[in-house]
Amino acid sequence: MRILAGPAMLLVIVGGFLSIRYMTKDDGPPRKFTDLEFADSCYSLSTVLVANRLFSNASRTWTSPRDDAWTLKLDDVVQGNGGPVRVFQEFTFEKYDDQVRLVAMDTSKGLEIDITHNIDALLEIPNERHSTPVDRCLQPGAKGYHFVPKR
Amino acid sequence: MRPNPILATLLALCIPLAGCQRHVDEKSVRAFVDKADDAARKRFAPEICELRGKNFKLHLVFQGHEHRIGPTEVEMDRALFCKQAGTFSRLRQYKLERKFIDVDVAPDRKTARVSTNYVETLPYYEPDMMPATPDDFDKFQIVDTHDESVVGIEGGDIVFLSTESTSSQELISKNSIKLPYD
Repeated sequence: MRILAGPAMLLVIVGGFLSIRYMTKDDGPPRKFTDLEFADSCYSLSTVLVANRLFSNASRTWTSPRDDAWTLKLDDVVQGNGGPVRVFQEFTFEKYDDQVRLVAMDTSKGLEIDITHNIDALLEIPNERHSTPVDRCLQPGAKGYHFVPKR
Repeated sequence: MRPNPILATLLALCIPLAGCQRHVDEKSVRAFVDKADDAARKRFAPEICELRGKNFKLHLVFQGHEHRIGPTEVEMDRALFCKQAGTFSRLRQYKLERKFIDVDVAPDRKTARVSTNYVETLPYYEPDMMPATPDDFDKFQIVDTHDESVVGIEGGDIVFLSTESTSSQELISKNSIKLPYD
């Protein structure tokens, strides 16, 4: 019996680890999706989202409306003049070859719904901060939408 | 005498089940609401949140202090409600008084309807201002809320399944009352 004690304990630890990993799994897109370049911008989607702090404050939900597409919903309650007001933004990103594009937007009343405007807005902060670009834009002379290489 | 390992295992598995509830009664619902009020007074989000069911919905109609502006309406699911509860912890001065409670248990004793009235006193931060410190305000808000909640059993515990809230807000000068820091 004693010989089985070690493997049994190992099995319990591995089982516990796997069940915790399974139960705490984030229902977001896989890394291979968020690592793709966003809208020819020289920044990966994950860089853009992190730079914009889209993972903080608001409640966020990822859903997948179809293969290779993910929708990020940001939901928040803000203090308006008349009381609390709910605001939300829904960004649908879709994979095209080795790029990911913003293909649809939905927002609460009063927020900008135009896709180009939202792409420009999302790229503002990574460009200002000179966030880390994707590999292809590390080369001298690399071009990207709104991309200003670091000198 | 050596204890029977199978019997001991079964007994150990049954102990947590003994604490599970299958039905609600007025006493347990009142105790649950007391617990929920204490969690709100502590402004500790995990505790506030765990008392809400997984499909919890809050519908809030809020009349702000400017009566010329009509009330706002907000619908929140559990995730959004819990996020909001998290922001609650930033308050350093908060008072919650329950003025009224009525519990109506359903005939099948699976749910109960709870009517409550609360008065909350807390700092009022202007909507367009970013407070530099929790003390950066000059008015307290007094929020009078009537809640109609449905509570039921989930995972062996009583939880809020839904809440319909109607609130109205008044502002008073910061110096007109003394609210302790906690």
